[in-house]
Amino acid sequence: MTPTLSELLTGRPATTTLADAVLKVWPEHEAYLTKSLSVRDAPVLEMTEWLAEAAVILGGDRLHTIAENYRWTCDRLREEELHFHRHGSYRLTTFEAANAEVYSDDAYMERYIDGLLLSQVFWSNHVESCNFYFREVPKVLKDSARLLEIGPGHGLMLYLSLKTFGLAGATAWDISPVSVDQSRRALERLGASGATFAVQDIMQLAPGAAAFDLVVMSEVLEHLEDPRRALTSIRNVMAVGAYLFVNVPINSPSPDHIYLLETVEDVLALVETAGFRVVSHGAFASQGKELKRALRQKISVSVCVIAVAGD
Amino acid sequence: MAKSTSELHVAIVKIFKDVMDVEDIEITNETTADDVEEWDSLSHVRLIVAVEKKYAIKFSDAEIESLRKFGDLVTAVARKTNA
Ligand SMILES: C[S@@+](CC[C@H](N)C(=O)[O-])C[C@H]1O[C@@H](n2cnc3c(N)ncnc32)[C@H](O)[C@@H]1O
Repeated sequence: MTPTLSELLTGRPATTTLADAVLKVWPEHEAYLTKSLSVRDAPVLEMTEWLAEAAVILGGDRLHTIAENYRWTCDRLREEELHFHRHGSYRLTTFEAANAEVYSDDAYMERYIDGLLLSQVFWSNHVESCNFYFREVPKVLKDSARLLEIGPGHGLMLYLSLKTFGLAGATAWDISPVSVDQSRRALERLGASGATFAVQDIMQLAPGAAAFDLVVMSEVLEHLEDPRRALTSIRNVMAVGAYLFVNVPINSPSPDHIYLLETVEDVLALVETAGFRVVSHGAFASQGKELKRALRQKISVSVCVIAVAGD
Repeated sequence: MAKSTSELHVAIVKIFKDVMDVEDIEITNETTADDVEEWDSLSHVRLIVAVEKKYAIKFSDAEIESLRKFGDLVTAVARKTNA
């Protein structure tokens, strides 16, 4: 028997706060939330609560609106799912189109970003990816490492990295000044210091511009027209032996996903051909689906890769 | 060629089970998402598209929303393939 939602939420006050907010505006989402929490093991549930605590702080007094925007975002995603399964491709394929429809529309972006914040807690593949990151990266990361995160968005991974990795420093880059601002404010709200923020296009990196020990890209590559060129470019700011963490969803239609990867092998090949050697990887299907089944049904899977920069 | 509704029912049950990845489960005209754990809004989209492909038909967004009972889907396919 699947446990009930209230059983799953017992002893998890922050997750409960967020679930209550969502169910108030979207009672029909209960079955999804129940399933999504029931597939998580103990460490992943602990990570869920950790992320939820941060999301509650970030949400502040806007939780009700954020919950509405989560529902709105899920509706947009369902439209994209329909297109994806009908046509076998993402609806938009150029940055220009995504920019015109999504990035340049402030009202759209606000709702979308709110939606993605809650997805960070409620979509099991997102929490599994975070769990993979915090389990696997410490195994390879040296002491006092210098971290670079590209496109930190809601800032949760950057926040938790600053809190737990004993870093010498952290840098955050994004091509969008609005996003940079948002991440900076998020980190302030969370009370985390030690990160430097800058507007930077990762396609334009000169060799030796900076040397990082760990570069993190979570949910960035699928937004790019040429992710291989981006990875090759990033290689320019990494020393030989530095690590790359990538989290990229496959078969995952979204309004601003323009680069379709369909298999785990696609992702590994992308990273390898950009000059990295894969050290470990994990694949987490939405709602804890078995990988084989998710691939057959073309259900979204988050693929996480840790790779080392070759010479 | 018009197919009998019961033939259609059997064929669409097969598609349903394949899309939802379920085997030992009885599907009737009255079955809704509440009865099948795997039937959520996203698998509903995949079910619709699988049916569209099989019968070379297309559902409008409003139709997709309104098809809640399994039987509604069978009826809608029957209507579209007879038109
Ligand atoms: C979806 S967000 C990632 C959010 C967060 N990391 C997460 O895991 O949910 C992708 C970010 O990548 C940024 N981005 C896209 N192209 C870029 C580029 N060429 N250089 C730097 N950042 C870029 C976007 O502005 C956006 O803020």
